[in-house]
Amino acid sequence: MCEQENRLVRCFASVFPWLKPEEIRNISAESAESWDSLSAVTLSAVVQDEFGLDIDPEILPNLDSFEAFRTYLRQPNLGGE
Amino acid sequence: MKLVEALELCRRPVEDAAPEFRIFLACGFTPLHLATFLSAALRVALPESRVVVETGLFGDLIGSIDRAGLSSAGSAVVVIEWGDLDPRLAIRTLGGWKPAALSDIVDSATEAGARLDKTLIKLSRRMPTVLCMPTLPLPPLFATRPAQASSFELNLRRAVASLAASLSECEGLRIANTQLLNEASPEGERYDVKSDVVTGFPYALPHASVMGDQLAGLIHNRQPKKGLITDLDDTLWAGIVGEDGVDGVSWSLDRGHMHGLYQQFVASLAGAGVLVGVASKNEAAVVKRAFDRSDLLLSRNDIFPFETQWSRKSESVERILKTWNVGADSVVFVDDSPMEVAEVKAAFPQMECIVFPKKDYPGIWNLLRHLRDVFGKPFLTDEDAIRLHSLRATGASQGVLESAGRSSDDFLQASEACVIFEPIQPAGDARAFELVNKTNQFNLNGKRFNEAEWQSIVRDPAAVRLSVSYKDKYGPLGKIAVVLGRILGPTFQVNAWVLSCRAFSRRIEHLCLKYLFETLGVDEIEFDYQVTARNGPLQQFFTELLGRPAVPPIALSREQFTAHVPELFHRVEGTIHV
Repeated sequence: MCEQENRLVRCFASVFPWLKPEEIRNISAESAESWDSLSAVTLSAVVQDEFGLDIDPEILPNLDSFEAFRTYLRQPNLGGE
Repeated sequence: MKLVEALELCRRPVEDAAPEFRIFLACGFTPLHLATFLSAALRVALPESRVVVETGLFGDLIGSIDRAGLSSAGSAVVVIEWGDLDPRLAIRTLGGWKPAALSDIVDSATEAGARLDKTLIKLSRRMPTVLCMPTLPLPPLFATRPAQASSFELNLRRAVASLAASLSECEGLRIANTQLLNEASPEGERYDVKSDVVTGFPYALPHASVMGDQLAGLIHNRQPKKGLITDLDDTLWAGIVGEDGVDGVSWSLDRGHMHGLYQQFVASLAGAGVLVGVASKNEAAVVKRAFDRSDLLLSRNDIFPFETQWSRKSESVERILKTWNVGADSVVFVDDSPMEVAEVKAAFPQMECIVFPKKDYPGIWNLLRHLRDVFGKPFLTDEDAIRLHSLRATGASQGVLESAGRSSDDFLQASEACVIFEPIQPAGDARAFELVNKTNQFNLNGKRFNEAEWQSIVRDPAAVRLSVSYKDKYGPLGKIAVVLGRILGPTFQVNAWVLSCRAFSRRIEHLCLKYLFETLGVDEIEFDYQVTARNGPLQQFFTELLGRPAVPPIALSREQFTAHVPELFHRVEGTIHV
């Protein structure tokens, strides 16, 4: 697993501390009751802070799963691989 | 601190039995990450506690302050931003910035300030309250260019400054220092416009982190250190007095000005009740002549004791600690010699030992700021002003006793001692709180109280809460003892009992028990007594009074006390609240 993904897992774990790493990789707003508006706001702030990003508010609703965040971070203009 | 680290700190497990530290965060914006950073900073400051942060409702600061007062929180943090004074001073509401409205905005903000003043005074009487005045930039609503201050803006700032100045006089309220905040969090980088618009949280995360740290530090309110031991040569003045002569040492702009600044600062500490002692390898007579110089900024009366001799510095420090009767962890040692500092540090590992950074201007500036941080206190008490005098008087009275070879009875009888018993007041009795949390040696069980616990105790109508003051012909000692407890039938249960070490050897502890038996009319006193590493004098007192080793639990009957109490010569004043 790459360093970027490790850091993303850590961000998710800080917001959903009861989840195991393998559960984190499968989490989505649809599958997790705990993914409410507050945790979504916190999660986006944690990720922006951790990766030094400024995520456009208009795409925030699309970042609704671990996989979506991972894909977002992989964009070449964000320094992803 | 990054947000992810703060979240991890907040979620670090605590023991089930951990005491709860509950605070209420009242702000007009969404508390979100400020609550997280505040909670994380408190977790660091109070690792053994379960920190709980309650929050109020969005957009209703005054309502949230009222709710804080009704909550079960022990302390409150109130953060005001411009939009709380008038919504037009924030950007989430579009109430209009036409020049014709500016006067009305200033007026309504001033009125909101007056309402906040009343509400905050009420809250601070209910619980310790930390207040932060607006930290964010004002929006560009004034007609002037940003480089020019508008009269409306200046009037707004004046209203806020006036509110803060007025509230700073409330004893239960501490205001965050904007100067410190400005240093740690650049003003131009604090506001997160996007976050404000999208989520209602206006702070950039680094600013929220700094705010959390500073506010947590004010809530935690750690106890200040008690004493400063300072070197003289190349520390209090520039030069070596034994070599350069009394007139050869200097602290002027021409030579050694920063040493003069240090002198001025130490005199300020002494005036605020910090014990100041000197440990110097010098001839006593030379030092005495140096302190005869009229241009010295620190009077010899600000210092007690002077330890001037040629043996190891740690021996001087040990004697000063003995004279002060305080622990090494309550004291800071300052000396320009790294070797002397290392020697003292080796002898007293708990003592903070600092090399005086001579010729390092910013280093000395930073030293003074650091010393203010470790010695600073929210409010000065009457006892702060007389501490050094009473310590000197204690030394003098013990000297009289030793040199005259008089018996304790003769001496105590001639002392014309007067002891005053008074109820501890819920507000305005910072000294009683300080005594309970600073006293180690004559301390019933070593229990410490945070401000919330203290308020709960002193407001409990069923509690007996007693402060004891002392004076004799050598001068006043001020408030020197505290007794807390409650009456249960024929028994008085003592939960906390402390006596300042300055007041030892005067039989005040015996008088306290006599007063309790007589005034409360109880037959027995039970003590919530615990042996601690430092309450040896209390253990010895109980051992002598009971005629057996002092092992918990301890209860003392009126008959036992009467049989063992020595003769008491004090005049007693005051009544206690029961």
